Amino acid sequence: MASDQDLVVETVQDVLAGHEPFALTADTAWDAGLWADLAEAGLTGVGLPEEAGGSGGELADAIAVVRTLASGAGAVPVAEQLLVAGPALLAAGLDLPDPAEPLTLAVAGAVTAAPSDDGDGPGRWTLTGTATDVAWAGVARHVAVLAAAPEGIDGAVLALVDAQGLATSDARNLAGEPRGSLVLAGAPASGALLTAEQAAVVRARYALARAVQLGAALERVLAWTVQYAGERQQFGRPLGKFQSVQMQLAQMAGEVTAVTALVDAAVHVLERDEDVVLAAAAAKVRAGAAVEVVARLAHQVHGAIGFTQEYRLHHLTRRLWSWRDEAGSELTWSRVLGAGLLSRGGDELWPALTRVV
Amino acid sequence: MSSSLTLAPAPPSEAAEEVRAQVRDFLAAELAAGTFTTHVDTWLSGVDPAFSRKLGERGWLGMTWPKEYGGHERTAMERYAVTEELLAAGAPVAAHWIADRQSGPNLLRYGTEAQRKEILPRIAAGECYFVIGMSEPDSGSDLASIRTRAVRNGDGDFVVNGAKVWTSNAHHSHYGIVLVRTGPPGEGPRGKHQGLTQLLVDLSLPGITINPIRILDGGHHFNEVVFDDAVVPGDMLLGEEGAGWHQVTAELAFERSGPERFLSTYPLLAEFARRAADSGDAAQLATLGRLSARLLALRQLSLRIAAALDRGELPDIPAALVKDVGTTFEADVAEEVRKVVEVPVSLDSPDPLGRALAEAQLHSPGYTLRGGTNEILRGIVARGLGLR
Repeated sequence: MASDQDLVVETVQDVLAGHEPFALTADTAWDAGLWADLAEAGLTGVGLPEEAGGSGGELADAIAVVRTLASGAGAVPVAEQLLVAGPALLAAGLDLPDPAEPLTLAVAGAVTAAPSDDGDGPGRWTLTGTATDVAWAGVARHVAVLAAAPEGIDGAVLALVDAQGLATSDARNLAGEPRGSLVLAGAPASGALLTAEQAAVVRARYALARAVQLGAALERVLAWTVQYAGERQQFGRPLGKFQSVQMQLAQMAGEVTAVTALVDAAVHVLERDEDVVLAAAAAKVRAGAAVEVVARLAHQVHGAIGFTQEYRLHHLTRRLWSWRDEAGSELTWSRVLGAGLLSRGGDELWPALTRVV
Repeated sequence: MSSSLTLAPAPPSEAAEEVRAQVRDFLAAELAAGTFTTHVDTWLSGVDPAFSRKLGERGWLGMTWPKEYGGHERTAMERYAVTEELLAAGAPVAAHWIADRQSGPNLLRYGTEAQRKEILPRIAAGECYFVIGMSEPDSGSDLASIRTRAVRNGDGDFVVNGAKVWTSNAHHSHYGIVLVRTGPPGEGPRGKHQGLTQLLVDLSLPGITINPIRILDGGHHFNEVVFDDAVVPGDMLLGEEGAGWHQVTAELAFERSGPERFLSTYPLLAEFARRAADSGDAAQLATLGRLSARLLALRQLSLRIAAALDRGELPDIPAALVKDVGTTFEADVAEEVRKVVEVPVSLDSPDPLGRALAEAQLHSPGYTLRGGTNEILRGIVARGLGLR
């Protein structure tokens, strides 16, 4: 259906079309050429205000960029930059790095931040410790680190680190995206103290960003599978004419449609600037749960060809399998959601549910 | 994704939130006064005409219909909020449920002026109840193969012979909208859809017998309604003679799209939440979170359908999809809860969680059958995907 974001989507699709798809290999950790073209077109600053150095536009525009790149398996840290690290830095009153230089977020409870000035408000901090499972470690030029606050202080510190020269490990997720560790040995950073609630919002934004990516990739996997079932002939007719295959595709459609509806609603909560933690938790849990069904049935319908490296399907199914466990697993967020819904007592589940989105 | 499956997000509705709060207050007061107790699946099993009349008095039945027919000219979004609150409370809504949900809208769409004037105000008052006359002993999912026949006699009246089954609460109801064959089927695979007609049937007519069909726990909700030369007046034709298939399809969009397709077991989830709050058990909290995430997604899908109804659309394919996903969830609530609690499951249990689990379990085969099996629904979704 037509929307205000059609132009954004078309622009991103045009940029994607100018690059070989599925750039990740054992030797290539990201698609630097794609990033350069996106940055050139101002797409790496969408949704971030112009006065802060961004390209302007609404949250919905940033979501459209992230969705289009997720469904196209673009190997670039756009979700982290546009939906998580960028907005979190700005909300904390910190400066946004040049959007042409990739920025990511590290949720790093094992990293401690110590003030190197008076520590009151945005200021200078020193970070010590190892941040693990950092998306695009080794690729991102800047890292917004959500570190532990100094002892005796509630909350967390959000600090911006220049990643150049930091020791990183070369771990990858199931899709081959970099997820290594960053060793911070007294790294200097500009940063700000966040309350526990503000830190929770940063983590929730990260979860919602992954849910947005999951939703877009789930939609594309369904579309690929429906297309394949319409083309592949067995026993003299297309797979999609077999009732058992139709049941599988309909089940996939049910999952995908449910995810889209809830993720959209959670994004609207963020747009309205309301409490997003439980909405993001629900979106992440629901999207993660759909992966099991959709990836399994997509591979089942595709048959052996979908199990090969040569065929395109794995570029999205491996991302689905990875993303569902990242930015907080289903278990983590289902506990957050369960406990959050009971925060006003065990008798108050229904009022709590009707407030989430 | 295919545009026939997806609907636009529902816009926020202040009016809906306002009436939601009113219904919530009303239900709290009724529960406190002991006029009803919460149960699972009460839109099938909770028959309470006095409660239905109370809802009628408050303007919560026939909400979207024109005022001239006793309606209140409110939005489908407002009606959604009311029905959702009633289901979440496990309130006894079965008496009027079918009439308010689908028979009334069907009459509004296809009924004569006399039929509307006579019946709709009584439905909106919570006084007049309906059954669905579709399934037969030999016609379940293959609805077009029904054999109940109606033949015009010399006076132009319909003489009806045959039997309808699974008619929920026929023993408490006043009318049925009965699908009958009035003409021969046509040629070709869809020829069976021709020659079908809907009749508005007064269940107290001579020649109509209502026999109970008990469900597996002994509960009497279903019936067999037998027509033995029952004479239905000619002016009780609903809509067009021979257009029954088309009309039934429209009726099913109402039947399949509401929150009762994912909230039938909500009272069990509410009881489980009390347990999880008391225990603080991590596994229980996670299960509550997982089930709640599924429920929240279903709410959004169902709200989108309500908004589409307000736009004048009849979203039959999205409705089939929601019902498939929603009724699967209803049964899963019991299965997931029992994995993380240790409680004797019995209708006689002193523990309300044990009773709710028992009710949800014993009614579970019905969720994914009634209103169209999930296999039929997935076939409709497959059509929406362009596979049929």
